[in-house]
Amino acid sequence: MEFGHFLSALTPFNLVLALFGVVAGTIVGSIPGLTATMALAVLVPITFSMDPASALILLGAIYTGAIYGGAYAAILLNTPGTPSAIATTFDGYPMAKRGDGDLAVALACFASVVGGLVGAFALLLLAPPLSKVALAFGPIEYFWLSIFGLSLIASLSTGNLMKGLAGGAFGMLLSTVGVAEVSADIRLTFGSQMLVGGFGVIGALIGLYCIPVLIDLVATPDRHLKVEEDVRSVRIGEAFRIAARSKFNLIRSSVIGTLIGILPGAGGSVAGLVAYSEAKRSARPDQKFGQGEPDGILATESANNATVGGGFIPTLVLGIPGTPPDAIVLGALLVQGVRTGPTMFSQSGSIVYTFIYGLLIATVLMLPAGLLIGRYAYKSIVNIPKAVLVPTVGFMTIIGTFSIRNSVTDVILMLGLGVFGWVVGRFGFAASPIVLGLILGPIAEQGFVQGWTIGSATGNLFGMFFGRPISQGIIAFTLLSLFLPLYAAWRLRKKPQEQG
Amino acid sequence: MPDQQRQPEGHVGSLVISALFVIMGIVALYDTTGYYDRDSQVFPRTVALLMILTAGLSLVTRFLHPRESGGFGTGTWWRRVLLILAMFAASLAIPHIGFLASGAIAFAGGLIAAMHDRWTVTTAALYAGSGAAVMIAFFALFRYVLHVPLP
Repeated sequence: MEFGHFLSALTPFNLVLALFGVVAGTIVGSIPGLTATMALAVLVPITFSMDPASALILLGAIYTGAIYGGAYAAILLNTPGTPSAIATTFDGYPMAKRGDGDLAVALACFASVVGGLVGAFALLLLAPPLSKVALAFGPIEYFWLSIFGLSLIASLSTGNLMKGLAGGAFGMLLSTVGVAEVSADIRLTFGSQMLVGGFGVIGALIGLYCIPVLIDLVATPDRHLKVEEDVRSVRIGEAFRIAARSKFNLIRSSVIGTLIGILPGAGGSVAGLVAYSEAKRSARPDQKFGQGEPDGILATESANNATVGGGFIPTLVLGIPGTPPDAIVLGALLVQGVRTGPTMFSQSGSIVYTFIYGLLIATVLMLPAGLLIGRYAYKSIVNIPKAVLVPTVGFMTIIGTFSIRNSVTDVILMLGLGVFGWVVGRFGFAASPIVLGLILGPIAEQGFVQGWTIGSATGNLFGMFFGRPISQGIIAFTLLSLFLPLYAAWRLRKKPQEQG
Repeated sequence: MPDQQRQPEGHVGSLVISALFVIMGIVALYDTTGYYDRDSQVFPRTVALLMILTAGLSLVTRFLHPRESGGFGTGTWWRRVLLILAMFAASLAIPHIGFLASGAIAFAGGLIAAMHDRWTVTTAALYAGSGAAVMIAFFALFRYVLHVPLP
């Protein structure tokens, strides 16, 4: 961790790479259907001729930029640009609809920078000890983590808990369609070849979030977003004050993001949802999550960007990539001849530390670049006529969904799910619980089946599910998440009776 | 999440959708009986039961305590239908006429559906031109930069 490594990261070439990576990643991430994985996969070949540290800086900058870029479409179009931005739609789009889209974009930028910095500092200072967390998580812990994520349904379904749970269950059933990962059975396809590949998460996200918005937009002549006359750019000062006021939420969400980033397979979407759940659980009575609450955006965006640094911890220290983008970075490192593992920090210290400092610099550069792109994106979306915006977004949903698996079937499933989501959404079955189930279903199933098999084999099924300390901690948090809102509501109802 | 608007069809619609979820749960439960491996059964079976239970409870609650909330809301139906049909038609046409021509079908349908102002020659030319530019730009980005094999 020498000062020389910091100076190595500050060379003009590395700075240009960091800036280019952040801008390119942000633009790619903002387009629904284009993921951080795709951006990295496309740009990996150009890094082969670079020195390893510069290559890593470019890839890290693209990754962090793409995660942040997902917030634009989530806020302005109610469509998560990347799965990491799912929870950003909960409050981002309501803010945009009421005329605060510019503020929401600025908040997302501040939160992403804070989260990115916390994740990168964790990578810099705590990588070897934190990597042990990844090893402490077995299948049961993953199962309980997914149940914890699903407990968010309770808070997302105020007044419609049964419908929320039914929606979550429907999402989990959707996740089981196709070839079973655990045993290769063909499930819930009803003989249709179309369904054998299952529902792709990205296509489902685009369908469930974006298509209903388009259907609603064309039906009435109302503007797509409300615009305040006196606001002409992104509200940086106001966003900074809100972010500073919510510093505890920012730090807590960033730590959650870092820790979940360390867990292989969890990723930014789970981190964003868990951080959102925690922010909502500890909210003040006057905060209305789900209706345009700035703290919801701060929690999600800080957590998902913190997973970038967190995800690099097991990738570099253990050689275990936490997410698909991490796997691409790992592959690029192997091509460069760099061996990852516990000795990497000592044997290839100059590469690792130069990269980490480069990631820190790229995250800082995301502030001006992100605010500038955010301002442009906001103005473009607000000023574009609805008659052009709707077909443009419609075309993007088709091309974005097709590009994931080069499949027309995915596009048709996306549209079908979108229309279904719109119909059921009009009667209280919201899209978010379905999406939660779809994303967390595979993690829950794999953890459950593996844990069940191990528990049965060892003759201690109860101990397997409930006896492990980390599991017990997660179960306690899940119960808190589920019952604290009910307890708070009960207290609120009781208070007037006591006063009366 | 869509706004909940008070509409007369809200009560019946809510009952129908809850019943639909129950039926889907029963169908899923039946499907699990045909799996060879018990490991593939346990999760979808549990989830299907959960769906039947929760949607069933929602159905019963709604039946016992009718509320006129929810519904399709106001708005022009032909515009919604045109948008959906255009997007489906475009998707089905992709393998036959290619991505750009199919995209043009989706774009034209969406444009007509979303256009609430009076059409003029200028707006028609401007919107069609900007649509063509957007589609060509995205097509080029995906096909030549990102190497997505668009038909």
